[in-house]
Amino acid sequence: MPDDERFGLTELADLAGVTPRTVRYYLAQGLLPAVGQSGPGSKYDAGHLARLRLVRRLQAEHLPLAEIRRQLEGLDEDEIRSLAGNDAPEPPADSALDYVRRVMTRMPHDAPADPSAAAAVPTAQPIERSQWERIVLAPDVELHIRRPLARAQNKQVDRLVTIARELLEEDRP
Amino acid sequence: MTPRAEPTFSIRPDRHLIRPNAHSQRFLLARIAAPRATTERARRPVNLAIVLDRSGSMSGEKLSVAKNAVEQAIARLQPDDRFSVVAYDDVVDVVIGSTKASAEARRGAIERLRSIDARGSTNLGEGWLRGCEQVASHIAEQGVNRCLLLTDGLANIGITDPDELALHAEELRARGVSTSTFGVGNDFDERLLQRLADAGGGHFYYIANAPQIRDAITSEVGETLEVVARDVSIEITARDDIRIDPISPYKMIGGGNRTSISLGDLGSEQVVEIVLRLSFPYGLLGQETGAILALKDRDSVFGRGGVGETEPIRLTWAYADDPANDGQPRDRDVDRAVARLFAARARQEAVQRNRMGDYVGAQQILDATARRIRGYAGHDQEMRSIIDALEREQIMFAGQMAEPSLKQAYFASANVQRSRDATGRSVKRA
Repeated sequence: MPDDERFGLTELADLAGVTPRTVRYYLAQGLLPAVGQSGPGSKYDAGHLARLRLVRRLQAEHLPLAEIRRQLEGLDEDEIRSLAGNDAPEPPADSALDYVRRVMTRMPHDAPADPSAAAAVPTAQPIERSQWERIVLAPDVELHIRRPLARAQNKQVDRLVTIARELLEEDRP
Repeated sequence: MTPRAEPTFSIRPDRHLIRPNAHSQRFLLARIAAPRATTERARRPVNLAIVLDRSGSMSGEKLSVAKNAVEQAIARLQPDDRFSVVAYDDVVDVVIGSTKASAEARRGAIERLRSIDARGSTNLGEGWLRGCEQVASHIAEQGVNRCLLLTDGLANIGITDPDELALHAEELRARGVSTSTFGVGNDFDERLLQRLADAGGGHFYYIANAPQIRDAITSEVGETLEVVARDVSIEITARDDIRIDPISPYKMIGGGNRTSISLGDLGSEQVVEIVLRLSFPYGLLGQETGAILALKDRDSVFGRGGVGETEPIRLTWAYADDPANDGQPRDRDVDRAVARLFAARARQEAVQRNRMGDYVGAQQILDATARRIRGYAGHDQEMRSIIDALEREQIMFAGQMAEPSLKQAYFASANVQRSRDATGRSVKRA
């Protein structure tokens, strides 16, 4: 929105999706800069809005207010704006091509070998489903395994999990 | 009124007052009109895959009309566009791998299309995914990347689970490849094809008879050729104690107090109407609460000077006592839109019940909806006629209906909910 836009307290609160009371609280806590004399006529600007949205985001990540204040102090206006605006859902990390190829390699290949046989029996084939197991190795790392596995493979996977967890544990600060 | 070329975005609430000691529900009608495509700006390139079902049941007229339609669609492309053709039964063949639509490639396509003939059963999932793969292998960053899937049957081998197929459609859409679907005849599953199109950000067409295949494909290709705004969404900021539900069938992504409703791509001068329901918390007399709505799209067509979002529209509701609530004026246009949508939803539900043999259930759902609408219709003519239609149709739904009638009723209702005309085409501004 244009930089010269100014809002009243209620409007600022609505734009950020909080109550006016929350805005007053943040003002009192110094998380938002005060504007001249406070009162019903006070006007806030786009900088306030960006800061307010960022505070909400950081709060949603369960950061204590003191920590949020500390983080905000280290940021300039532009940084605050870019962080505050960045609440759109993350775009997928892989491309459409990667995705579709991954799905197709996983696909059940239960088509009958003889096409004429398929034409003769056009009824539903049993659905072949695969079970994928997710093993969390570390907070941001997962291993996906399709069950069932042969016994030897199972043992290998168990070892892999143990080693991977140790490795990831080491690297954590 | 002279047609306007600029994009517009308007929002109308049905009422402005809410009750302090009840969870008031209020409706919003959002209306979006896309700008007109300008002749000076070149249109966006398209990158299409057309996926044809060539299972045994397609043999004869259906397949020959479909091939003909594909030929005509390809003839409309320009050298900057790309196309590919996939045919599937139990085996999936890439008949024409993704190619630039040069004059030579377009001529060659006609030869190759002739070689497709009908046989085996239906691996719809893999056929469609192969088509998506062709599109995905040459994504046009500035263009419209879409896979068109035509079938007359059920997915009976390969991936057949509708949930899984819809999930893939959604994931592919998020990665830039959309999906539109065409169902021909009596034996396909319209709910699956509608879901694929909804999740895939494209459109679904019901084709009762083979000769209509050409019109449907021509129309869909035409829409991709005149897309002016991609990935349009309504962005809503509201306090998180206000619940937002889209009544129109669009996907909503909610995160805290920011809610986003994705509308897909919009064509030149296309008009879309969306109804949202807001459920408010308890509050104090005299207090106000509000929501802020803006429109966003990938190319900032609706933005102001490249900001990417329209000027936000701010709406407020005030907590007021019961007499004031009961006596407040209503925006009848919003009421009419709400009535149309609920009637369409009831019909789709009645179609399912009738097909399952639950004739009483089908009647009841229409009756209950007619009664609800009567509760706020007053003497309004349009709402009266919606009620009359629901009452008339109860007789029809009270006995076994033929499959084409069920499919037609489903499709007509699907179109009402998505601002499309009776044949599934987008609606333009007057």
